[in-house]
Amino acid sequence: MFSKLIARNSRRNRKDSILYFSSMVISIIAFYIILSLSNQNVMLFLKKMESDAVDRLMTLIPVFYVLSLFILFFLVYFAGSIQIERRKHEFGVYLTLGMKRSRLFFMLLLEDLRNNIIALGIALPVAVLLSELISLVTSKIVGLGIIGHQFSLSLPAVVFTVVGFLLVKLPAFVFFSIKVTRKEIGELLSYPPSGIKKQLPNIIYFFSMILGALMLAKAYQLGISGRAWFDRKIMGLTVSLGGLGTILLFYGLRMVIGFFAGTGRRNRKKLHNFNFRQVQEMVIHRSTTVAICSLLIFASLCLFGAGIAISMDATDNIHILDYTFSNKDSYENLDTEQVQEFLEENGMAPLFSNVLGIRVGHPKELHSLSLDNLVEQIERAPLNDARNTLLHNLKNRDDCYLISLSGYNELRQAADLEPFVLEDQEAALYMNRDFLIDEALLNSIIATRPAIRQSGETLTLTGQIESLPIVTDRSITLTFALIVTDTRFESYTGGNYTNYVSAVLDPDFVQEKGLMQAIMETNNALDKMPLAYESYLQSMGRKLFYVVAASYLTIYLALIFLVVANTTIAVLFLMGQRKTHRRYQILVHLGATCETLCESARKQINWYFGLPIAVALINSIFGVLFLFPALLPAASLRTNVGRRVFIAGIVILVLTLIEYIYMSLVKRSSDTFLRTLMIPQRVD
Amino acid sequence: MQTILDVQSLKKYYGKEPNQTKALDGVSFQVIQGEFLGIMGASGSGKTTLLNCLASIIRPTAGSIYLKDKELGRLKESELAHYRGNEIGYLFQNFELIDNLTAKENILLPLSLHKVSERESAERLKLLSNYLDITDVLDKFPSQMSGGQRQRVAAARALILDPHIVFADEPTGALDSKNARILMERLAGMNAVEKTTILMVTHNSYAASFCNRILFIQDGKLFHELRRDHPRETQEDFYQRILRVMSMFAGGEPNVF
Ligand SMILES: Nc1ncnc2c1ncn2[C@@H]1O[C@H](COP(=O)(O)OP(=O)(O)OP(=O)(O)O)[C@@H](O)[C@H]1O
Ligand SMILES: [Mg+2]
Repeated sequence: MFSKLIARNSRRNRKDSILYFSSMVISIIAFYIILSLSNQNVMLFLKKMESDAVDRLMTLIPVFYVLSLFILFFLVYFAGSIQIERRKHEFGVYLTLGMKRSRLFFMLLLEDLRNNIIALGIALPVAVLLSELISLVTSKIVGLGIIGHQFSLSLPAVVFTVVGFLLVKLPAFVFFSIKVTRKEIGELLSYPPSGIKKQLPNIIYFFSMILGALMLAKAYQLGISGRAWFDRKIMGLTVSLGGLGTILLFYGLRMVIGFFAGTGRRNRKKLHNFNFRQVQEMVIHRSTTVAICSLLIFASLCLFGAGIAISMDATDNIHILDYTFSNKDSYENLDTEQVQEFLEENGMAPLFSNVLGIRVGHPKELHSLSLDNLVEQIERAPLNDARNTLLHNLKNRDDCYLISLSGYNELRQAADLEPFVLEDQEAALYMNRDFLIDEALLNSIIATRPAIRQSGETLTLTGQIESLPIVTDRSITLTFALIVTDTRFESYTGGNYTNYVSAVLDPDFVQEKGLMQAIMETNNALDKMPLAYESYLQSMGRKLFYVVAASYLTIYLALIFLVVANTTIAVLFLMGQRKTHRRYQILVHLGATCETLCESARKQINWYFGLPIAVALINSIFGVLFLFPALLPAASLRTNVGRRVFIAGIVILVLTLIEYIYMSLVKRSSDTFLRTLMIPQRVD
Repeated sequence: MQTILDVQSLKKYYGKEPNQTKALDGVSFQVIQGEFLGIMGASGSGKTTLLNCLASIIRPTAGSIYLKDKELGRLKESELAHYRGNEIGYLFQNFELIDNLTAKENILLPLSLHKVSERESAERLKLLSNYLDITDVLDKFPSQMSGGQRQRVAAARALILDPHIVFADEPTGALDSKNARILMERLAGMNAVEKTTILMVTHNSYAASFCNRILFIQDGKLFHELRRDHPRETQEDFYQRILRVMSMFAGGEPNVF
């Protein structure tokens, strides 16, 4: 009898709060996915090359795990307390009928345990499948063959998932149950009066809103100025101003909504006034909860944006050369023809489509460069951060690298670009992309053909800034160099230079194998030869690791935040609706049809979700402006507006999709509930 | 005189055969325009069931209800909603105001449900709130009003769209005697001046003495009728007559007259 009651109750609980239950399922999935990160194909692959970095990341996982525990605890605590609140009356009846408190507690515990086991039973298989899917998709995207993929079930991950889930769930539950079972029966049986809480004078709400808005504005200003990233105090100030400002804003919002409720063409739309009062009630009773939800959505938007931006940063990397060779046991320069012959002799020539050499050297005299003319022009440009930094970088520069034109043109050719034509007294500016701050400004100055002096001779700058990577190894970068004709190169360097011999893999071969696989196979063949090499894989591996880890973690956190915020709002609405079901019944009495009620509730749902989302969106416009410069050191992203719009578009799309799913779920649930109210029932 | 409401052999049974409750077992009566009809009966005699059938909240098992020649049983769901909102008003024992709306918003709720412009009813709102003495509380929430004020606000809400008939289920049940008297005086006044038709269920003989006619119901059947001999019979005398019938009730002896 007792076990039957438990089974029935737990089934009903699941049904009653399908959203709460599915959130439990989602949190289990989240736990497993973060814990099984080390089993992902890409991570296994990177472990071979970047084991240090991977190990460091793995030490970070527990931090994320604990962080998720905390956030999900918030969700469980909140949803659980409302759930229990809703059943208070039922418990009162059990106690009145003579059930012992200890037995009631035991019953609740068993009910919850049952639900937990079912949630685990559903979620774990889904989690394992999903993590396999992510593994396959990421390895496909980064060009790692998926042939070698093996199904991997991480047992520790499963164990820790279960432990984490129960760790979140049970203490919260025991806490509630004790609270409930300690209460007096009378307290349990009485329905708390719903309705308007005592209101303070409107002026207070008005000021709270103004203050909130001011605090937010200050936080935006601090954030955009970028100073927060250098000073922990300012960072703390920004974050607390933003958080507190949002909370105050929501606290004061009741006034605005009250105003909407009271004015306007209120009878043009059905139940206009009623709907606004309902929304207002939420803002009054739960302004802080709603504000926190809004902040969570905001954080999630920023993280999403950052995650996507980081993952796109990888593809941003210009990739032309696959290999750069060097002598295995001497520092002597390699000859390009020599390498080509060598490859042919060993039957490896078909693997490469192109072998090229680029000569790079120093002028033989020190301090032989003068950029005065160029610097003057920069000084004349309008004052801003980019100009200042540029000026700072170039002002005292009296030395540079030199690149020979013929070699650089071979590189351009490999990149499918037109060769570059330089007259004898001309030079082009070469700067690494990561140090290039305002490409447009520099290009516009070069267009005026400024003069510079090198080794006592005057050269005219021409063309555009060049920045193709001249070797595969990303650790060799030229901050600042001049591209000059071969004759000038010879005379300036006095024949003292390095010849970087690089090669490009055959595109068909890469197409067939995937880049990673192709490089790995070529590496195996090259390893047997007396030729040292540096492949694109090393530099890419480093980058890839950073990208995969960072985007994985940010998107993971973003999803958790979003789920928690949405579930909280959903629970808030549905429980509120149940609590105030009498109002809907009165409306039926006054001649409302089922459609009218559902329509009214749907509008309220739009507002419930819309308010925090709208504030989060406004916040995130500034938040993203704040985050991007810090997250994306690559200058290309800072200046590339199109790409930013693209990222924002993806983020908005994801948000819209998730919100749509949540809102339709809540709407459907609300419709079902309202339909039950239409069934005739006793009114007195 | 025009008949507003015509109820013919109305039946409402709850439950299945062996333990079936016959809440209404063949009730027939008519209400004419401008009448103030009372329905009295012991607890469980079927009064609320009757009102709920009339208000189309529940469907009767058998029988028919005509409101101004329209048969409720034949109306579609949307027409029923229109009927509930526009053609009848309902007054509850426990007021049933929506607690997060102000008095004024509660009163105007039917307009908002049926998309009637507020301007059209501004005049009527003023008249009703003056007459029911609730002008001071229009901007208050139910929790800030007294019970009597709440019931008068509820009355204003029931009357705002000028329905053909108002159903009231023990409207004085939750009020003290002073507030009950004020409410009954106002309802009787509305009935006398505005010719509002009212059908009221009550336990209270004093409240019933404001009616023109009273139907007594027992075990789902009408068993007696009292008619006030207006203006010859005073309210006091009518009250005494009601008391006498009520005492018969207790003795279980119908039809004393
Ligand atoms: N939904 C229902 N299901 C089953 N039986 C019901 C239902 N509603 C009412 N009844 C039964 O029908 C009978 C009449 O009930 P009703 O509520 O109409 O009485 P009443 O005259 O309003 O009583 P009171 O004066 O106490 O309000 C009662 O015996 C009651 O138990
Ligand atoms: Mg009743």
